[in-house]
Amino acid sequence: MCDVGFREINPKMVEATVAPGERLFSQRGAMLAYRGEVSFTPNLRGGQGGVMSMIGRRVANEDTPLMTVEGSGTVLFGHGGHHVQVIRLAGDTLYVEADRLLAFEGTLEQGTVFLGAQGGVMGMVRGQVSGQGLFTTSLKGHGGVAVMAHGGVIEVPISPGRPVHVDPQAYVAHHGDVRNKLSTALGWRDMVGRGSGEAFQLELSGSGAVYVQASEEKL
Amino acid sequence: MSVVHHDPSTLPVDDNVNPYTFCVELAGSQWFLQKGKMIAYYGAIEFNGIGHGRLDRLVRTSFHSPLHASDWVVAEGSGKMLLADRAFDVNSFDLEDGNLTVRSGNLLAFQPSLSLKQSIVPGFLTLIGTGKFVAASNGPVVFMEPPLRVDPQALVGWADCPSPCHHYDHGYMTGVLGGLRALTGLGGASGEEHQFEFVGAGTVLLQSSEALLPEQPAGGTPHEPGVPGGGAHGAPGAPPGAPRLPGQLGDLQRRFGL
Repeated sequence: MCDVGFREINPKMVEATVAPGERLFSQRGAMLAYRGEVSFTPNLRGGQGGVMSMIGRRVANEDTPLMTVEGSGTVLFGHGGHHVQVIRLAGDTLYVEADRLLAFEGTLEQGTVFLGAQGGVMGMVRGQVSGQGLFTTSLKGHGGVAVMAHGGVIEVPISPGRPVHVDPQAYVAHHGDVRNKLSTALGWRDMVGRGSGEAFQLELSGSGAVYVQASEEKL
Repeated sequence: MSVVHHDPSTLPVDDNVNPYTFCVELAGSQWFLQKGKMIAYYGAIEFNGIGHGRLDRLVRTSFHSPLHASDWVVAEGSGKMLLADRAFDVNSFDLEDGNLTVRSGNLLAFQPSLSLKQSIVPGFLTLIGTGKFVAASNGPVVFMEPPLRVDPQALVGWADCPSPCHHYDHGYMTGVLGGLRALTGLGGASGEEHQFEFVGAGTVLLQSSEALLPEQPAGGTPHEPGVPGGGAHGAPGAPPGAPRLPGQLGDLQRRFGL
């Protein structure tokens, strides 16, 4: 449905169309150029929802500065030379770190998720290993999201019975009905410092997709 | 991705080898390039610093302004030469009896059939004439038609647009709430209060990121009333913090004409 939202111009730039009555949220300072009458307003609450959502994001350290983009015209977004991946959501939920969000449509519902809620203590450990921290941001609904990553992004589908293992550092985002757990392959080699360097992996199972970047560098 | 092997016969002629490397073929011809941008060459190519001597005439016809000619090198001979700049994306552009203004740090090399002049806009250089030039950018270059407003850091250059000007957006700073915001600093700034605006016919070149290439000195302007940036800023040296290429001594080097 909301497919008009983002158009990829090249691997590092997206074009968004804004129409009156619609809103976009984008990372502050990520606008490259625009055409038409468009206004950029810093968003005090760092996204959607009321003051409670704002406090939630502050506490969860998911309060990346955002701005509201309104008006009518087209806007080009890009940031820091990072690769940009457009993900279109059709009713499901995307889990992504807030600082990876370049822009997203105002039709999406933004929330903060406690990783401990998905698997208790192991969820928290997982968050630490994958660099997500204890919290991550969720976006739910219909619309487009532009996510930044270091290096290109590939989408790996997850289907029931076919779990996907991802290096925690290369993990970007995932959506769908996905359970994830941290699988460890620690052996005596790791104990004596002769490990393969791949002792921790994220195992994602269920149905949906995970986005993986072609680099182990965080943003 | 597999490694592509090239030899002198398979290297492209005046085209990109990959997004980050450009190959120039010289057949008794000349190219101007910025110091330190050549990464490899085949054949018999001579690189001469330009200043005084037998290349004087060439410099006089291609550099029409008191530019820092000492930052440029003439490549002469026959062979193939590879140009690159710190893994930035490299692109070539053809001008046909046209004009194009480009940020001084982004210009890598150009054919002597073009003439290089300092733009009235400080920090920019204008190329006039017919020929090919090579420019670097952070991410691929995107061409846009005016009317357009561009983030200052994303601007690479423009062609034929007569009207680069500043545009300020601070709608959200007005009114009672905006006043409060401006007074207290609460709510922060969007970082998008200032753009360059282009109208009229022409083309605007954008890079895909806001990370700038370090600026190259574009030369001083005469100390004259009415000349923008007319020496008022003092020595237009490289901004502090900009990485200096190995072998460059910066201001000292320039002062001695090395």
